[in-house]
Amino acid sequence: MAGTTTKLVGWIAGGLLAIAFIVMASTSQAFAHAALIKTDPADGAVLAQAPARFSLTFSEPVSPLVLTLVKPDGTPVPLTSFRLSDQTVEIDNSRALKSGTHVLSWRVISADGHPVGGSLLFSIGAPSEPPVVSEAVDWPQRSAIWIGKVFLYIGLFLGVGGAFALAWLAGDDRAGQRFVTAAILCGLVAAPLSLGFQGLDALGAPLSHLAQPVIWRTGLGTSFGWTVLIALIALGLGLLSLGGPRAAARPLALAGLAGLGIALVASGHASAAEPQWLTRPLVFVHDAGIAFWAGALVPLGLALKRQTVGAVAFLRRFSWTILPVVAVLAAAGVVLAIIQVQTPPALIGTAYGRLLLVKLALLVFLFTLAAVNRWKLTASAEAGSTEVQRRLTRSIGVELLIVLAIFGVAAGWRFTPPPRALAIAAAQPVSIHIHALQAMADLSITPGHAGPVAASMIIMTGDFGPLDAREVTLVLSKPDSGIEPLKRAATKPGDGSWRVDKLVIPVPGRWTVRLDILVSDFEMVKIEAPVDIRP
Amino acid sequence: MNKYLLAAGTLLVLGTNAASAHITLEAQEAAVGSTYKAVLRVPHGCDGKATTAVRVQIPEGVIAVKPMPKPGWTLQTKKGKYENSYQLYGQAVTDGVKEVDWSGGSLPDEFYDEFVFRATLTADLPVGQKLYFPVVQECGDAAERWIEIPAAGQDEDALENPAPGIKLTPKK
Repeated sequence: MAGTTTKLVGWIAGGLLAIAFIVMASTSQAFAHAALIKTDPADGAVLAQAPARFSLTFSEPVSPLVLTLVKPDGTPVPLTSFRLSDQTVEIDNSRALKSGTHVLSWRVISADGHPVGGSLLFSIGAPSEPPVVSEAVDWPQRSAIWIGKVFLYIGLFLGVGGAFALAWLAGDDRAGQRFVTAAILCGLVAAPLSLGFQGLDALGAPLSHLAQPVIWRTGLGTSFGWTVLIALIALGLGLLSLGGPRAAARPLALAGLAGLGIALVASGHASAAEPQWLTRPLVFVHDAGIAFWAGALVPLGLALKRQTVGAVAFLRRFSWTILPVVAVLAAAGVVLAIIQVQTPPALIGTAYGRLLLVKLALLVFLFTLAAVNRWKLTASAEAGSTEVQRRLTRSIGVELLIVLAIFGVAAGWRFTPPPRALAIAAAQPVSIHIHALQAMADLSITPGHAGPVAASMIIMTGDFGPLDAREVTLVLSKPDSGIEPLKRAATKPGDGSWRVDKLVIPVPGRWTVRLDILVSDFEMVKIEAPVDIRP
Repeated sequence: MNKYLLAAGTLLVLGTNAASAHITLEAQEAAVGSTYKAVLRVPHGCDGKATTAVRVQIPEGVIAVKPMPKPGWTLQTKKGKYENSYQLYGQAVTDGVKEVDWSGGSLPDEFYDEFVFRATLTADLPVGQKLYFPVVQECGDAAERWIEIPAAGQDEDALENPAPGIKLTPKK
C-alpha cells in the first residue's frame, strides 16, 4: 500500500517537474502587453477604394481573438479570414465597401495571457460620421474576473498552502482541516470559472455568453489556461494530502505546493517579464513562500485558539521556519517589483504602481503584526501562556484579513499593464506607410516619442518595385507649433534602407513628414503623410 | 500719390527679390514653332558657395539645341533619342541634345552670370501650358536642384526649388 502511494507520488512529482520545465522553457522572447505599432490602412486614412486586405503589426507576436469591421451604418461584420506572419496580422477583405467611415475593431492576445483591444478608423471616398463602437469597460465581467482570481488565490494559498502546513508543520494536529478543505473546494470551483471569465474577456463577450463552448475553448487557449489546469492539479494534490493515507500526506502536500508555484508561473505579468530565467523562478519562490506563510495562519490560529495538544509544537516549528521563508519571499518580491516598475515615478504615475503602493502599505501592517507575533508573543505562547496565546490568535486573525486584502490587490493587477510593458510600448517605433503614384516609403521613427530619435526609411516605386534613389531628404514640419521644418539628408547604411540619425523631435503631436526623393538627376519626388509622435 | 508709388515699388522689389533667389529664364514666354533663346540667370551660388557647374535638361519637344560656349567653362552636351519624331526643315528628327552642361568654371556667390542656348520649340507643344527646363546647379560637392515641377493645381510659388519655365504661346 505504502509502496503504491510512493510510486503514485513519484509519478505526480515527475509530471509536475515536466510541466514546470515546459512552462519555464517555452517562452524565450520578450513578452509584455502587446502594443499596436503599425496599421495598413493607417488610422484616419481616406482611401479611394476598399483595400483587398488590412494589416495590423504589433510589438510582439499575437493571436487574434476577434476582428470586426463596423460599416458606416453601424452594422458589424466579423472578419474571419486572416493570416499571421510574425508580428503582423493580415486580414483579407473580399467585400466591396461603401463610401464612408469604417471602424476596424481588433482584439488580440499576447503571451502574458492578457487580451488587448483597440480600433482604427478609415474612410472610403470621404470621411463620414464614424459609427459608434462601444469600448466601455464591462464592469460585471471585470468584477467576475477579479472575484474569480481572489477565490483562486484563496484556494491555492490558503487551501494548498494550508494542506502543506497541516502535513509538514502541524504534527498530529488537525485543527483547521475543515477550513483548508473548504478553501481548496472554493479554489476548485473558482479555477474553471476563472477560465470561462478569461474566455469572455478574451473575446470581449458579456457575462451572459459564459455558457458558449467557444468562450471556454478560447480561455483554455490562452496562457491562463495552463495556470488553471496546473492549479486544478495542485488543488487536487492538496485535497489528496488531506484525505489520503497519512504516509503520503507530506509528499502530496509538497507536490501541491510546487504545482501552485508552477501554476502561477504559467501566466501573468511578472513571469512574462524579461529576463525570464530570473522572473519565472522568482515568481515560483514568491508564490510558494506566500502559500507557506498564509496557509499556516488558519491551522495555527485555530490550534492556538482551541489549545490543542500539538499547538505549541506547531507554533515552534512555524516560527523556526518562517524567517528564512519570508526573507526569500520578500527578496523575490522586491526584485520582481523593480523589474516591473523600473522607475520610482511609475509608482505614482501608473495604476500598476499605485496598486503596488497599496500592497506595500498592507505589507507594512502585516510585517509589523508578524514581527510582534514572532518576537514578542511567540516565546511566551510557546511557554504555555494562554492569555498570550489568545492574543496571538486574534493577531493571526487580523493577519489573515490583511492577507485577503493583499489577494484582492494582487488580483487587481490583472487589469493594469506594468510600467515595464508601458515603457516598452512607449519605446516602440512609430511606423507609417506613405503611398503616392510615383513612389512610396515605409518610414519608422524610433522611439516613437518626442526627444532624440532615429528615422529609417525603405523607398520603393509606386508599384512596390525597387527604387534606387540618388538622395533622400527627410523633412518634418509642424506648422501649428511655430517650429521651422526640420530638414535632414538621409544616409545609406548599405542594407537598402535610408537613415537619419541624431534627429531631435522637440514636441509631441501630429507632424507632417515629407520625403524628398531624388529619383534621377533632374527628377525629384516628394511624398508626405502625417505622423503622430507620442509624448 | 508718392506714397502709392513707394508702396508699389516696395512690393515690386520684395516680389522680385523672392523670385530672383531662383534660377530663372529671362524670356518667360515663347511661341510654339519658333526659335527660343534661353538665357538662364544664375543669381547666386549654393548657400554661399561658388557655382562650378550648371546643367540643364532639355524637355521633350525642344529640338535643335545649340548652347553658347562660355569662356572659362567647359561646354558639353548629352545626346539621346527623343520620344517622338519631329520635322525640322522637311527632315525627320528623332534624336538630339537632351542635356547641356557648363562645368569647370567658378562663379562666386556674390557675382551674377547667364548661361545661354538656342533651341526650336516644336509646333506640337501644348499652347497655354508651361514648359520646364530643370536645372542642376553644382557648387563643388554641394548642389541646388531647380527641378521641381508643380503638380496639377499646385501653386508654383509654394515650391522650394522650382524648375525654370516658360509659358507657351500660340504659333505666330
